[in-house]
Amino acid sequence: MTEFIHHIPALIIVIPLLWGFATPLIGRLSKKGMYAWVVTALAITEALTIAQIYLVLTQGTQVYVMGGATYNTTIPPDSGGIPVRIILTVDAFSAFMAFTAATVTLAGGIYSITSEEGTSGESMYYTLLLLMLSGMLGMVMTGDLFNFFVFLEINSLASAGLIAYRVGKGISVEAAFKYAIISSVGALIYLFGVGILYGEYDALNLAMVASRMQFTGLDKVVMALFTVALAMKAGSVPLHYWVPDAYGKAPGAISAILVTASQASLYALFRVCFSLFGLGSNTLTTGWFLISLGLLSMFVGVTMALIQTDIKRLMAYHAISQTGYMLLGVGVGLATLGTAAFSQYGLQAMEGGIFHIINHAMYKGLLFLTAGAVIYRLGTSDLNKMGGLAHNMKYTTVFFMIGALSIAGIPPFNGFASKLMIYESTYLFNPILSIIAIVVSVLTLASFVKVFHSAFMGPKLYDVKEVPKAMLVGMAILTSLIILFGLFPNIAIQYLVGPAAKALANQAAYISSVMGGA
Amino acid sequence: MMYVLLALYIIAAPFIVGALGILYGMVLKGIDRKLTARMQGRVGPPLRQPFYDVLKLLEKECIIPENAVKWLFNAAPLIALAASITTLLYLPIGPFPPLFSGNGDLIVILYLLEVPCLAILAGGFAAGSPYSTVGSQREMVLMISCEFPLAAAIIALAWKYSSIYPGLKAFSLTTFVNNPIWNNVGVLGFIGVGILLIVMLALSTSGLGRLPFDIAEAGTEISGGMLVEYTGRNLGILYINDAVRVVVFATLINAMFFPYKLSPLIANYVALPLAASLTIDFLFYLFKVFLIAFVTVTLMRVAFPRYRVDDVVKFYWGIAGLATLAALILIVMDTFFGW
Amino acid sequence: MVGALNTYVTPSGFWNPILWLIAFLISLLLAYIIWSRGEKSYKKETEQVKPFFAGNVIESKERAHVRAHNIYWGFVEALRPYYMALKRIHTGDVNDYVAWFIGVTSFMLIIYFLWGVKP
Repeated sequence: MTEFIHHIPALIIVIPLLWGFATPLIGRLSKKGMYAWVVTALAITEALTIAQIYLVLTQGTQVYVMGGATYNTTIPPDSGGIPVRIILTVDAFSAFMAFTAATVTLAGGIYSITSEEGTSGESMYYTLLLLMLSGMLGMVMTGDLFNFFVFLEINSLASAGLIAYRVGKGISVEAAFKYAIISSVGALIYLFGVGILYGEYDALNLAMVASRMQFTGLDKVVMALFTVALAMKAGSVPLHYWVPDAYGKAPGAISAILVTASQASLYALFRVCFSLFGLGSNTLTTGWFLISLGLLSMFVGVTMALIQTDIKRLMAYHAISQTGYMLLGVGVGLATLGTAAFSQYGLQAMEGGIFHIINHAMYKGLLFLTAGAVIYRLGTSDLNKMGGLAHNMKYTTVFFMIGALSIAGIPPFNGFASKLMIYESTYLFNPILSIIAIVVSVLTLASFVKVFHSAFMGPKLYDVKEVPKAMLVGMAILTSLIILFGLFPNIAIQYLVGPAAKALANQAAYISSVMGGA
Repeated sequence: MMYVLLALYIIAAPFIVGALGILYGMVLKGIDRKLTARMQGRVGPPLRQPFYDVLKLLEKECIIPENAVKWLFNAAPLIALAASITTLLYLPIGPFPPLFSGNGDLIVILYLLEVPCLAILAGGFAAGSPYSTVGSQREMVLMISCEFPLAAAIIALAWKYSSIYPGLKAFSLTTFVNNPIWNNVGVLGFIGVGILLIVMLALSTSGLGRLPFDIAEAGTEISGGMLVEYTGRNLGILYINDAVRVVVFATLINAMFFPYKLSPLIANYVALPLAASLTIDFLFYLFKVFLIAFVTVTLMRVAFPRYRVDDVVKFYWGIAGLATLAALILIVMDTFFGW
Repeated sequence: MVGALNTYVTPSGFWNPILWLIAFLISLLLAYIIWSRGEKSYKKETEQVKPFFAGNVIESKERAHVRAHNIYWGFVEALRPYYMALKRIHTGDVNDYVAWFIGVTSFMLIIYFLWGVKP
């Protein structure tokens, strides 16, 4: 039994991957069997991520050596002190991101059972869904720079395929094409940076490179390449242009899962800034880079969202805006790293930003699922053509209201809890940051009130029924976590967010978990 | 035993502040109408008129328009009134600390001030009539514009407190009440805080939806705007909500800028038992609330015409916003140069 | 004090959601008590329940619904220069997207060369 526990990190990545490849075969035999197969895979992955969180909380950072003699022989005795194999390094932040990704994909998968029913190529859809999940989980759990590139490509290609799933007279395919180009550019520039580091330090493992880092001129080039490429993949202004196209044309559940895919790139950005470069670099510069990206994303994202007339493009701009909050919180933490201010408010700012990651995945996922429900029944995503849906689709309206109140940060939902933490720690760094964050919050409320009126209020124009049960179950899973984190934020801080923030800030612990305490 | 007392306290608290808010709010409304009338050369209604109005509204038919989303249309006034009452629980009432002190700070109050506006405008949208829709989206534009100077004012003051008293919770209203802001600033800061006070008074007027910022309920332009479809008992609840919000805003400004008590002044000359000093302070608080309500509601109403919609945004994000940022800079300079 | 068990504490403030929820529900009860003493009935299916149009004649329900692109006119009008610049930047052309990426990368290369590492 104890042997099985040690293999959990590998199982989390491998189970969606292998079950995904088996899905088309089962799809040929029976549709219902395929649905059960996929939901089982997603549920098992979710359970394993929760078990992994428990493991990391009780036993510390988990390492897993792929193909090693034992699971934690990171440095084989005959290698000369170099960790040669691919090592999965799961600290509290990785476990947190894995839990977020698995939960949203589970809700999206259950939702897809009815939302994609009857479309052609359904088994391909579920295969790509499981591949996308495997890619995301690999991205957040790996400790190897090149392996991150591999999982990034798996994730991007699966996502591009899924965005183009509903051909939509070619418009979705165009969106997927733009997404593929941007992903390739970002990933290849990232690979170029990895190549430079490999040439300098003869190592691909993140902890190894961090322990050997000299901060030469070439390393400054790598800093620029990494941070900008990963910021583009995370969807922050001024590199955000692909986000409305990609999120806006993807099928209902995929937009929700794309949010967590972008957050996995955000994870990589934070990992590079904190654990790879750490305190040797000038954290004030990198911190202000993240803070500036955060401010721009928040404001430009929400002001562009206010004038949109397509429901999913509007929500995609809000995804950009909320990413700004995460960048702001963690950026303030990074800028104060190593100073006395870190223990006063820097760590709490990081906690606010990281708490916002899971809150955003929950409520943005819920909002995209409700948008998908509206499109499922009406066949159009143009807000100018909708109206009066609250008369018939009561559950969808209530779920939408909960999602909209959460994203605007209205008490007592979870958005308010993380935003409160961000406001009340970043103002000590610079009061202007909090002021802009509060103004963006009310602009967010304004644009969702606009969607609420256009789609749900007004006279009854369409005679539609409520959406099928599977879609409601998917939405309910996310809503329950929204309400749980809103009413009991201390649970999230104590078990999920607090350990994640401390693990991210602690570069020495990350290095020593792989290199063995030297 | 202690838990039973605690539970009773939690259950009784909303009723206490609810009674205070509703009754005193309606008294203030009556005084406001009388004074407005006198300033406009009329006699005006008797002081008990708001109570008669509410009773009359409760007797009338409550019509629900045929295009309305019925559950939201009926729930919106109730949610608005409930949220306004809960806001009072986090504000200090006269000499008494907030009934729920230690459980909600200024940012909580900032968001709770938005919730009644949001509920009413959701009700306006739910009515399904074009006039109420236009009124509701105007109210949303008003809320957007107000948020910038309001956030800047609160953050500026909290930043000042955090730099002087690093050990205290800077957003907690207890900090504001125990350390009045005027005692803790130099000359530059005095000017800055004065600017913030003027901006906050203007923000109260718009938060309450009164002239010159009543674009949401503009009588002559959109025939009642947000509230055009509300009748009967729904309108009665909205009327009461309006009264409570006057008390909320006035108490907030009182707590942030004028948390002074009268009894220490009198205690210099006459020895006072505890009950007498509490009563004197409470009456002084009621008087201060009346003064603030007079300035923000009555004086503004008779002095100014209505702003246009885009002019409101330009005012709050232009002049008032710049003034608030200037005040923030003055306060920051006050901290660093210590004049 | 009250409810110290579940208070969520930040560096400069605090918030207790459960306590607020209880107080909100009790206030809702108070509001409901006042509301229920009002008159419940109204004459349905008469002219009273038609939406208010100030005497205009509206042919169909579709014309009575204010559409999305008309909402927030005041705000968009007030920020007109900003919005015109912003709409011009968002072209939709992939070449521009990659051009932005190259521009930002070059800018950050210069910044990191100057101030990237502690001296």
